[in-house]
Amino acid sequence: MSNFSLSSRSSGDIAVMMPKGYINDIAAECLEQENEQFLGHGMKKLVVNFSDVKFINTIGLSVFLGMMQKTLENNSILCFTNMKKDHQAIFEIAGLIKHVKVFKDEKDAFIYLDGRP
Amino acid sequence: MPFSSLKNGEFIGRQDELSALYKRVLMAEWGQAQSVVLFGHRGIGKSELLKQLFGHLFWKQDRVAPFSYTVNPALLSVAAFSKTYLIGFLCQRLAFLKKEQALLYQDGISIDGLSLLIEESEAGWAKEILDQYIQCAGDPLDSLRIALAAPHRSSLSTGMPVAVLLDDFHWIKGLRIDGVPDARLASLFQEAITHKKTPHIISGNAPELQEMPVVSGLERILVPPLGPEGASARASALLSAYEATGTVPPLLLRHLGGNPFYLGCVVAKACSKSNPDEKDFWNAYIQEIMEGQLVLSWSTVLKGFFPDLGMRRVALAIAYKIHHTAEPLSCQRIAKSFALTDDRAHDVAYNLYLAGIIRGELGVFRAEEDRVLRDVIDCLYLREVLTKSTHELTEYFLAALVPQKGHVARYDMALPMVKEAELIAAQGLEQIGKNLNLNPETIGQLQIAVIEACINAIEYSRGRGDNIYVSVIVDEDQLEVSVESAGPEFIIRETGEPFRDQEAAKGPGRGWGIKLMKRFVDEIEFEKTALGTKIVLIKKIEKSTGRKKESAISHE
Repeated sequence: MSNFSLSSRSSGDIAVMMPKGYINDIAAECLEQENEQFLGHGMKKLVVNFSDVKFINTIGLSVFLGMMQKTLENNSILCFTNMKKDHQAIFEIAGLIKHVKVFKDEKDAFIYLDGRP
Repeated sequence: MPFSSLKNGEFIGRQDELSALYKRVLMAEWGQAQSVVLFGHRGIGKSELLKQLFGHLFWKQDRVAPFSYTVNPALLSVAAFSKTYLIGFLCQRLAFLKKEQALLYQDGISIDGLSLLIEESEAGWAKEILDQYIQCAGDPLDSLRIALAAPHRSSLSTGMPVAVLLDDFHWIKGLRIDGVPDARLASLFQEAITHKKTPHIISGNAPELQEMPVVSGLERILVPPLGPEGASARASALLSAYEATGTVPPLLLRHLGGNPFYLGCVVAKACSKSNPDEKDFWNAYIQEIMEGQLVLSWSTVLKGFFPDLGMRRVALAIAYKIHHTAEPLSCQRIAKSFALTDDRAHDVAYNLYLAGIIRGELGVFRAEEDRVLRDVIDCLYLREVLTKSTHELTEYFLAALVPQKGHVARYDMALPMVKEAELIAAQGLEQIGKNLNLNPETIGQLQIAVIEACINAIEYSRGRGDNIYVSVIVDEDQLEVSVESAGPEFIIRETGEPFRDQEAAKGPGRGWGIKLMKRFVDEIEFEKTALGTKIVLIKKIEKSTGRKKESAISHE
């Protein structure tokens, strides 16, 4: 049984991805593929909800880096929500936090994204 | 230096021995004093006892002149020994005559300088001895005889008996003429030590003295270990001298076996803190047996008897076996265990016996009853022969020696190098945290660090071993997780940064693991071990509630 699962949904022009469990290299690639699919469908507002994420390792973190770069190349906006303090610290250590918008929850992210083209 | 360097009040627990020796020596006044040999383990205080005796004789009476001489292994040519012995005696004798302490420190004076000194002192007897020595200077044996007989001759001339206090006397067997050691030269002391107006108090390495014919007929006085009260009082005096408070734990005090040298080393190390507590004393002891004066002293002895590195390793292994075997071992059994010839096994065992590391009795060898020595042997063997790391040694001795607290627990896991094995360690840690009611945030941070440590271990040991080994040690105030694997070292110790693959290190995400571990734990250590590499992660928790003092994140 896998220690990771991913669910996603879209609401208008906003896509929400909800990873669950342990984000390692395989999980992060899965997330990256999902992200690319949304980008491929023209979605430019992306949200990753971390509420069910238990652990992120640094190999998984490096895949996030690629995901962020593609989002930036597409002139899209990537938002992270519901991050635990420690998860946020992990992204800070990697210097990745500056490339994303971090919100307390999806509601705050939606308010921010609704005002964007 | 003939006088003790101890301050007043620091020489504790030996008053009875000092008093008995003092009275014995004063019997020389009536021509009834006999020479004796002081016996006792290394560090037990024989040399200090001689120094204290010299001080008493020099300052507290004027009936018996004291002469103190410590045999120097660097001055064993008969010519050099005779000269220093004679000059030392004449200077000290004149110093006693004039009660002039400065004359005690004229060891380096020339023969001409000494002649002038003697003339100024109007000591005709001394002039006669020196003149005779000068006349015989070309004959080393005659020079030696004159030097050794000088105390007795002065006694005959002046009527003043002389107490000759000889330390490190075992070196005498190395006396040499023309560079060739000749143990028979020591027999020239035979006559001098029989005179009852010049009693010789001889000390040195007990096993070697025991094997020297010249002293084998002398009465032996055992210098025993300090008793519990004496050891405790000596410890208190040492702590006062360091202006430190605290008490040496009774268990440690017993472990030190009443040996003043051991006690002095441990207290000195512990007093690097002004108020050492129980843990500090135990840590000081472990540091001493691993890298302090205490282990250095025994290492020097071992090197002296086994200058060849290969033989020293064999000797260590044999000493380790003897110290961990209940029954005495014969040379044949030692030879069989270590694939040596009987002769070689005997040579090694006999030298270990002479070094004072084991006891030799009726053809068999057994451990010395010295727990500190056993710890030193363990330490040297584990480090030098089994190449255990400092961390492993510390853990070993902490577990073996320090009284375990009720809350200490240890969990060991062997994880196969399969996908997501690191989660087993992380989830195990979570359960340990729940069982011990530890702060989930503390555990969460430690889990992140442990996952990274495991990933590193798996990544760098691939193809070198089947498992990685995770140990969790829960102490009253900290959690320690070690992750050991067969991989090569992957960090530069000084910087804590990865170095193994410079190109890969430049790639995205490389080096984050170390930073992340450092961020989420209070201490991190990287060690080279016998297996490969070990990462040790330490996270502080509060004693009373098991909750962490402060979030690592809140420091940022």
